[in-house]
Amino acid sequence: MACEFNLNFLKELEREAVLEVLYRDQMVRKTEEERIRKLKLQLQQLRWKGARNVSHEYQERSCARCQKSLGLLMNRGAVCNGCSHRVCSECRVCLNPCLWKCTVCYAHGDVKVKAGEWFFEERAKKYPGEGRHETVGAKLLKSYQKLSKISVVPPTPPPFTEAAAGSNVTELRQSKSFNKSVENLFLSLTTHIKKISKSQNDMADRRLLTTDYGQNVERRKQRRSQSDTAINITSRMKSTPSLQQLITGAQNDHEILTKRNCKEEEDITTSPTSDAVFCDGRKHGSLYSLNSTCTESGNFDKANITGEIEFAIRYIFKACILEICIKGCKNLAYGEEKKKKCNPYVKVYLLPDKSPRSKRKTAVKKSTVDPEFDETLKYKIEYSQLESRQLQISVWHAGALKYRVFLGEVVIPLAAWNFKDNSMQLFNWYQLKAKLEKPEGDLIQYSGELLVSARLSVPAQYKNFQFEGKKDQGVPNCQLQVMIFGAKNLPMLRCAGMLNSFVKGCLILPDQAEVKRKSPVLKKEACPQWKHLFVFDGVTPAELQQSCLHLTVWDQSAFSSSDQFLGGAKLGAKESFGCTDLVSQSVLQWQEVLHSPNKWMDFTLLLHSHKENFKS
Amino acid sequence: MSRARFLKISTMTDGDYDYLIKLLALGDSGVGKTTFLYRYTDNKFNPKFITTVGIDFREKRVVYNSRGPNGSPGKAFKVHLQLWDTAGQERFRSLTTAFFRDAMGFLLMFDLTSQQSFLNVRNWMSQLQANAYCENPDIVLIGNKADLSDQREVNERQAKDLADKYGIPYFETSAATGQNVEKAVDTLLDLIMKRMEQCVDKTQVSDTANGGSSGKLDSAKPEEKKCAC
Ligand SMILES: Nc1nc2c(ncn2[C@@H]2O[C@H](COP(=O)(O)OP(=O)(O)O)[C@@H](O)[C@H]2O)c(=O)[nH]1
Ligand SMILES: [Mg+2]
Ligand SMILES: [Zn+2]
Ligand SMILES: [Zn+2]
Repeated sequence: MACEFNLNFLKELEREAVLEVLYRDQMVRKTEEERIRKLKLQLQQLRWKGARNVSHEYQERSCARCQKSLGLLMNRGAVCNGCSHRVCSECRVCLNPCLWKCTVCYAHGDVKVKAGEWFFEERAKKYPGEGRHETVGAKLLKSYQKLSKISVVPPTPPPFTEAAAGSNVTELRQSKSFNKSVENLFLSLTTHIKKISKSQNDMADRRLLTTDYGQNVERRKQRRSQSDTAINITSRMKSTPSLQQLITGAQNDHEILTKRNCKEEEDITTSPTSDAVFCDGRKHGSLYSLNSTCTESGNFDKANITGEIEFAIRYIFKACILEICIKGCKNLAYGEEKKKKCNPYVKVYLLPDKSPRSKRKTAVKKSTVDPEFDETLKYKIEYSQLESRQLQISVWHAGALKYRVFLGEVVIPLAAWNFKDNSMQLFNWYQLKAKLEKPEGDLIQYSGELLVSARLSVPAQYKNFQFEGKKDQGVPNCQLQVMIFGAKNLPMLRCAGMLNSFVKGCLILPDQAEVKRKSPVLKKEACPQWKHLFVFDGVTPAELQQSCLHLTVWDQSAFSSSDQFLGGAKLGAKESFGCTDLVSQSVLQWQEVLHSPNKWMDFTLLLHSHKENFKS
Repeated sequence: MSRARFLKISTMTDGDYDYLIKLLALGDSGVGKTTFLYRYTDNKFNPKFITTVGIDFREKRVVYNSRGPNGSPGKAFKVHLQLWDTAGQERFRSLTTAFFRDAMGFLLMFDLTSQQSFLNVRNWMSQLQANAYCENPDIVLIGNKADLSDQREVNERQAKDLADKYGIPYFETSAATGQNVEKAVDTLLDLIMKRMEQCVDKTQVSDTANGGSSGKLDSAKPEEKKCAC
């Protein structure tokens, strides 16, 4: 009897002892992760310092780090061996009498050393398949939490003092069955190590573990470690909502906003271009579910996609600038496999804008599959617009003449990006992916916004009529008035500000009859303000319930006979762009128009780029 | 880099350090690993035999003073040491050896009063080769309980020869008196820091090689290649 009791007691004690160690180890790890995160943040700041004033245009001679201008004879600077950027003499760190590096390259190396990268690199040579940074302690703890489902409980404080534990264990260490049970515990733990390391990249798994901690500190850290490893972008996208939940959740609970952040927040709210434009944009789930697009026209070859790209993204609220700092790539495929040739460069588009205006490129690096670019590409763009945009970052090989080879790409939907979180500014490695062969048929692409106002004009004597049912017994013909105010963020076909745009309205009635209207052409406007009223006479509310108004924006062609389609939107009682469970804001508003005669209702319509979807 | 000096510092819970270095003590059960680490971190001796349950660790912060190539004083770094303690018993083997791969350096210990524990050093070496982060990690061999000279079963020559065979340093220590305890750990830390510097130098050279090829684009003049300092 007593023996039985002891055995159970010991099992408990044993497990507690090991767990206590593992939890203590977790504390050490967290401190370490936090320290490395700070180091990286500092490095980041150093990088941004250099990037701040560099325009993406070809730069004149200036120090890549401090922006001091460099002379042609005196003070001409020199090229850093690490990054190939020209830097002034102050922005160098000497490693030995005949080797120096620029401040950023030096800091990069320093962070690597201080983060113990040398060790992980060495170890990866021996254990290539395994989690580079994951420790055995972390794996064991995870597998244990998973096994026992005790993970909701936060780490238990050390259950006994060193001395007490010691004496207990000492007395009982002879018990064979005790040892057996310990062995079993470890066996089950260690057999789960393999399982865990397999599911490392599985976001669902990670999320589970993350929430299991039940502590937001943990969540934040987990989230960070997710971004620290190069995770597969598509899996990230699939889990976007919960990722975002995690982010916002963590943010609400932790007011970790720095002074600068607070200022940025003010900037947004007081900004005249308020992000209200997109306050209902979130509900257009389908709009943001786009995956990847093929922006490349013309022919190009594809290499077998390998390797990763390291970059960071941030948004400068004050200046409304989106910055993409491209650090480098590693393990790229050879652009010309047979010749073992690779001259990589990075190209960025801010989708859905595929025009040259949206294109940014880095310099071409010669003969390397591990290029270091250290270049910052910039876009001037309003914060409110980011949500509907995707960053397409692709890597190309520049061969002889105009021969290009696609080496892989990463597409980042910015809707899921929290630009207010400093840790999102960190550099990360991303796995390069193949292009989707063809954009999916139902892909909807953003091409700006159209601001309109609509009302149902009803003769005065029917003012108090209840417009409820579908039948319009006794209801006279009404008038649908749609005021076309203006459009913004239209795709640029030529250089900025050169659109000659106009709007077409096409009201499709229940019997498929079409009533068409057209606005005047506004010349040379990037953000046209037509302030033009479309009037549709002789319609009834019931008819309008079954009708749909297609509004399309066009660029008048000066030379050819066909006008260029810029984007379209639909207004109606039914959801026009499939598959959302949520009824979009515009549908609700449309109902409101039909039910509240003579009341003007403002709409911000997202313009979609597929011409085939619209009648005009 | 030549000799380094170490200083103790106390605060431990914050991230105010430059390097996290993980060491691991291994060897037969009862050779004094736990007692040794306790002496190193807390400078105390515990005569009681407390079986280590699988794994454990202790922490300590030290200051590492690197020296320049010409012997000039270099920078001082704060090092956070995580010292892993393992159970020597066979039945914990799969667990303890799993922890080997997270350590950057090893304190391989035997008991000077136990010939058997010394004979087992070879086995521990092969365990290390199989499970450590690389084939030839930094190790110091430690013959402990030097204070019990009347019970000594392993002579210094024997142990030194074995250490030489492996090309690793050897120390005779006493967790009871504290003799050579710090010296042994400091030597190991020094080895690790040197290895780290070498690894980093290597990457710098290869970085340079990479950068050099792309640097050609920018037609650098020969004089620019010289260091400006
Ligand atoms: N006299 C003496 N006893 C020691 C020394 N080191 C350890 N011991 C004793 O040896 C026993 C086993 O030590 P312990 O540290 O638990 O061994 P471990 O199994 O390797 O962790 C304990 O009773 C210690 O007090 C030493 O240097 N001198
Ligand atoms: Mg012990
Ligand atoms: Zn400079
Ligand atoms: Zn550099």
